Amino acid sequence: MLQATKLTKNYGDIEALKGLDMTVEGGDIYCLLGANGAGKTTTISLFLNFIRPDGGTATVCGLDVAEQPLETKKLLAYIPEQVMLYGNLTALENLRYFSQLGGHDYSQDEYRDFLRRVGLEEEAVDRRVKTYSKGMRQKVGVAIALAKQARALLLDEPTAGLDPKASNEFSELLLNLKSHGAAILMATHDLFRAKETGTRIGIMKEGRLVDELSTGEVTHADVEKIYLQHMHAGGHYAQDGAGSA
Amino acid sequence: MKRIIISHEARQLFRSGAFRALLLMVAGAVAFAAWSGQRSIDRQVEGANAAIAFEDGRRGKMRADTEQYQAQVAAEGGEYQFASAQHAPGAGPPQGTNAGVVGSTTAKYLRMPPTGLAPFSIGQSDIQLSYVPVSMNPTMYITKDNELENPVNLMTGSFDIAFVVIFLLPIFILAISYDLLSSEKERGTLAMILAHPISLRELMASKIIARAGVLLAGVLVLGIVALLAVGTNLDLADTWARFGLWMAATLLYALFWFAMSVLVNVYGKNSAANGIALAGTWLALVVVVPTLVSLLATTLYPAPSRMELTTAARQAQTEAESTYMARLSEYYYDHLEFVPEGDERAMDFLTVAMANRNAIEKAVRPLYDEFQSQLNLQESLVQRFQFISPAIMMQLALNEISGTSADRYEHFLNQAYDFRVEWSEFFTVKFLQRAPLRPQDYDQLPAFEYREEPFATVLMRLVPSLLGMLVLLTGAILIPFLRLRRYQVATS
Repeated sequence: MLQATKLTKNYGDIEALKGLDMTVEGGDIYCLLGANGAGKTTTISLFLNFIRPDGGTATVCGLDVAEQPLETKKLLAYIPEQVMLYGNLTALENLRYFSQLGGHDYSQDEYRDFLRRVGLEEEAVDRRVKTYSKGMRQKVGVAIALAKQARALLLDEPTAGLDPKASNEFSELLLNLKSHGAAILMATHDLFRAKETGTRIGIMKEGRLVDELSTGEVTHADVEKIYLQHMHAGGHYAQDGAGSA
Repeated sequence: MKRIIISHEARQLFRSGAFRALLLMVAGAVAFAAWSGQRSIDRQVEGANAAIAFEDGRRGKMRADTEQYQAQVAAEGGEYQFASAQHAPGAGPPQGTNAGVVGSTTAKYLRMPPTGLAPFSIGQSDIQLSYVPVSMNPTMYITKDNELENPVNLMTGSFDIAFVVIFLLPIFILAISYDLLSSEKERGTLAMILAHPISLRELMASKIIARAGVLLAGVLVLGIVALLAVGTNLDLADTWARFGLWMAATLLYALFWFAMSVLVNVYGKNSAANGIALAGTWLALVVVVPTLVSLLATTLYPAPSRMELTTAARQAQTEAESTYMARLSEYYYDHLEFVPEGDERAMDFLTVAMANRNAIEKAVRPLYDEFQSQLNLQESLVQRFQFISPAIMMQLALNEISGTSADRYEHFLNQAYDFRVEWSEFFTVKFLQRAPLRPQDYDQLPAFEYREEPFATVLMRLVPSLLGMLVLLTGAILIPFLRLRRYQVATS
């Protein structure tokens, strides 16, 4: 579903991504772990064609993102760290606008149903979203992804800053999407959630994928141990990695 | 797809209080400009009517005198005579019978009628009077009353609708579009949108179309309201054709400023930087460049002072007089009204005075033409340099469309020069033949009817300005749309 082949990206002199190879199949929740600056966001941005690769390809369902950006975006949904919406519109209006941008149109009731499914309180649906908490906005973000009927999801630290309950609800939603066969790629710092929700874990360091784990085969403690081992290993980056992990 | 964004953007606009406030301000500015333009044109029309009424009144008085005289002659018998000189009141034929006197002491005011759109763009019409006196005096007297406007007014220009369009409309446009893309990027919604199958170009174009649509609908409504309120000759096709041209020019100009917003936005700077860049662009193109061009025009082709022209005319007069006049004759010439009746010499002096006037005209006309051509040189320099600023192109175009351009005025003056010859001829011939002026002769006075330029001529003169704006606009659109390819939605 999502495939990166020798994906390379440079920002000036800095090599953000050095020949990344990875695959996320349908029904997978692939969690990307790694220190800040390891290349997680860059990977997601490349899948969204927000930036252009300097080498290699990113494909969605076999379509090259750089060559068919509009086609691939029909298959993708994106939930950033902060789901940003139009503050002066209600949740329902935001959802309708983004759905229409994605080429879908639903009835009023269907839009309400999407918002109910992601657990947004009934009374909040017709309120302008500028009064929303982050958790509520993230839920709208998921509703947008649901309504888009995306085959692949790209999530960039979507639970950062959420309280445990909200974070847990979010994970439930992901599992729900996974059960529909979506391929989910999520960048995160939350080792616990990654092990709990994810099916696979990829550890990134300095623009490279240094390890891949199947969550079924490891314990929470293993994940943390392996992660820290990688962060401490080798050269002058170790301290940075340990600092931010 | 685009329609969704357009309607979304339009709704967003109307939900913003700042936009509604701006809209009100523009409406207020247009209303004030319409009122101010109307007042300016009204004053011109009133001035023309007063001047015409005054001069016609004087000639009317003279005509009444001759009617009375004619009745007297009919009653008492005798001959209807030519008044050779001033009499005591009630004695002899009245002055109105002397064509030379009527021609030299009264003037005929010629009027260039304002077009239906004149209140929209006052142009130079506050210094170039739309009504000029024609008499037997030399040509230079035709424009001698020009440039009498308050100099402060001349510096600031008049607050007309053209001013609102050229100065204020860009500010309004930039205010609603300076952060076209940067605000979405800063708010984080750009990434949300572009995760959907929408290209940046499509997004940009839709956002611009929404704003331009809202704005131009507003301009059209305000324009029509203003036209109905202050326009004249609304039943003439000419007025509506000019209004159509006005709207076309405004559309081009407005789109240019939208394109500037797009241009600045594709460089990916933040909203504040975009705002500053655009404010600078506005200042440069609307204020600085036009001022520099005008400075250049007046420096390269300094306007000859009217004082010099007047001095030269005096000199010519003195010369003319010295060659024609002997001492005694000079005395008589200075006191024509006291020359005894029936004195043949008195007639000669009147003739000599006429001849003098002729000589002065011949001597001063070249100076006058030079004076006028210097003004024309300034004008043509501005014409040539207009292409560096859309504000200059727009001002020229709007003056042209409103019929307040320098070219239309020149067209009017040329007719006035021709008419002066015709008018002078009428009185000179009658005078030289010593033919007494009868009441019915007053009905035969040459009439002046301003001949409007063919509309095609107006269109032809509009071509450079409009084409220039079109080229500028095309460039301003092309560059950003080519550059959008490189726009970074996400930065490292």
